[in-house]
Amino acid sequence: MPEIRISFHQELDLIRTDLLRLSALVNETIPRATEVLLGGDLQAARQLIEEDDVIDSLTIEIEERCYQVLALQQPVATDLRAVITAIKLTSEIERSGDLSVNVAKAARRIYGAELDPKLRGLIERMGEEANTLFKLSIDAYAEGNAGLAAALDDMDDRLDNLHKEYVQAIFETQKESGMEVQTAVQLALVGRYYERLGDHAVNIGERVQYMVTGWLQEHTGAARLSARAAQATTASASGAGPSASENGPQPGLGLVPPINEGTA
Amino acid sequence: MPPDVPAEGRGFRNTYRAELEQLRLQTEMMGVLVDQNLERVGRLLRDGDLEAAQAAIGADDAIDAMNVSLTERCYEVLAREAPVASDLRLVVSVIRVISEFERVGDLALRVAKLAPDLALLRSVDRCFDILLAMSDEATEQFRTALRAWATVDLGVAEQAAEPSAWMELYYEQLLDSLLRVSGPDGIRAALRALVAGRAFDRIADHASIIGSRVRYLATGDPNHLAAEVR
Repeated sequence: MPEIRISFHQELDLIRTDLLRLSALVNETIPRATEVLLGGDLQAARQLIEEDDVIDSLTIEIEERCYQVLALQQPVATDLRAVITAIKLTSEIERSGDLSVNVAKAARRIYGAELDPKLRGLIERMGEEANTLFKLSIDAYAEGNAGLAAALDDMDDRLDNLHKEYVQAIFETQKESGMEVQTAVQLALVGRYYERLGDHAVNIGERVQYMVTGWLQEHTGAARLSARAAQATTASASGAGPSASENGPQPGLGLVPPINEGTA
Repeated sequence: MPPDVPAEGRGFRNTYRAELEQLRLQTEMMGVLVDQNLERVGRLLRDGDLEAAQAAIGADDAIDAMNVSLTERCYEVLAREAPVASDLRLVVSVIRVISEFERVGDLALRVAKLAPDLALLRSVDRCFDILLAMSDEATEQFRTALRAWATVDLGVAEQAAEPSAWMELYYEQLLDSLLRVSGPDGIRAALRALVAGRAFDRIADHASIIGSRVRYLATGDPNHLAAEVR
């Protein structure tokens, strides 16, 4: 038996190592995509787009390995959460890589267009913010740091604000200098790619929090619903009873029956 | 069931099968709640139904609650039953699909929360028409994905997995129109329209992911898993 557990934990370590390798590959694409866009380097754009195949195949490899671990090793508790988190992270990370590819594709579409210095500056800053957020989200995973993972949502506000500023700048530049509408459309799409990169980093943070603490972002909404249900029950029983918060939110909302209900 | 299985064991397996079926059905139910919210968002935009928007905001808590509850049940089943083959595919697919449903719910909520700015959104005629079309397309795409989940029909799943060419076109048209918006409130209106447009675009994207996942669930073919990764 001890041999099996060792091999199992080696398998988990392998998944973790590969996931970090996948993240490193994706992390590297973010500044590269920004450089491609601002430098109009078509060769570098092509390279970045082609390299996405490596990211895709590694993603599938990791996911299949996770399924094998689930089927053959039957992990429980923390180990189980780690495997499920890995499955969920693969798609967040892989989609982040796709967003860098999208930036490179946009660079091809606007090739030759002169970019306003203000827009260039904002693109650079959005790229840096997105890169930092992604890197921090992976650090949170690598270190199992729930505090850092939880902070990502607030950190993402900076990128969201930059994105708003950027969209506004596109509108203004387009009106003032008569930038081609097609170029402006592509630039607006680029902003959306960076903003989505930030969203993925926040999602990764949420998954990491779940891995470390078992807390899901949706627990907040679930607790609100539970509090409302408790309030309604109290009100119907006694007219004006104690508030829901005094009763405290309860798990088990009646929406989904307990696991063996009606089946035994 | 082979006759040499003790009665106790038969009960255990029956319970297990029933649990899996419950998971599948409850996931579908969660999808129905999300679908109702998309419908409410459509009513907000089409008819200015502010009560529908309010109801959508409240219903999102139920969607979150189902996500929490179903996630925990999947963990229990994985830990206790150690499912393999198609059963394992079902449980991991539930974990994946409920995440997608939950995100679609969040995106619908994002549009519902634009209710106080409805007049502003409507002030940009052409953009607003495109938003209505995007709302319909996103809802349609989501329904196809939900149908795929409910029926585990490969044909429907393939239909859902196909990214919506219409949505791509609408999104570009929307951006194009937004850049032509003028007037004192133009930029404010355009930014809000962009929030809604982006949400619909992403809902369609999530529906396509669900379609790919159901293809994998139906066939077990890792090539379909690869199709989920783009």
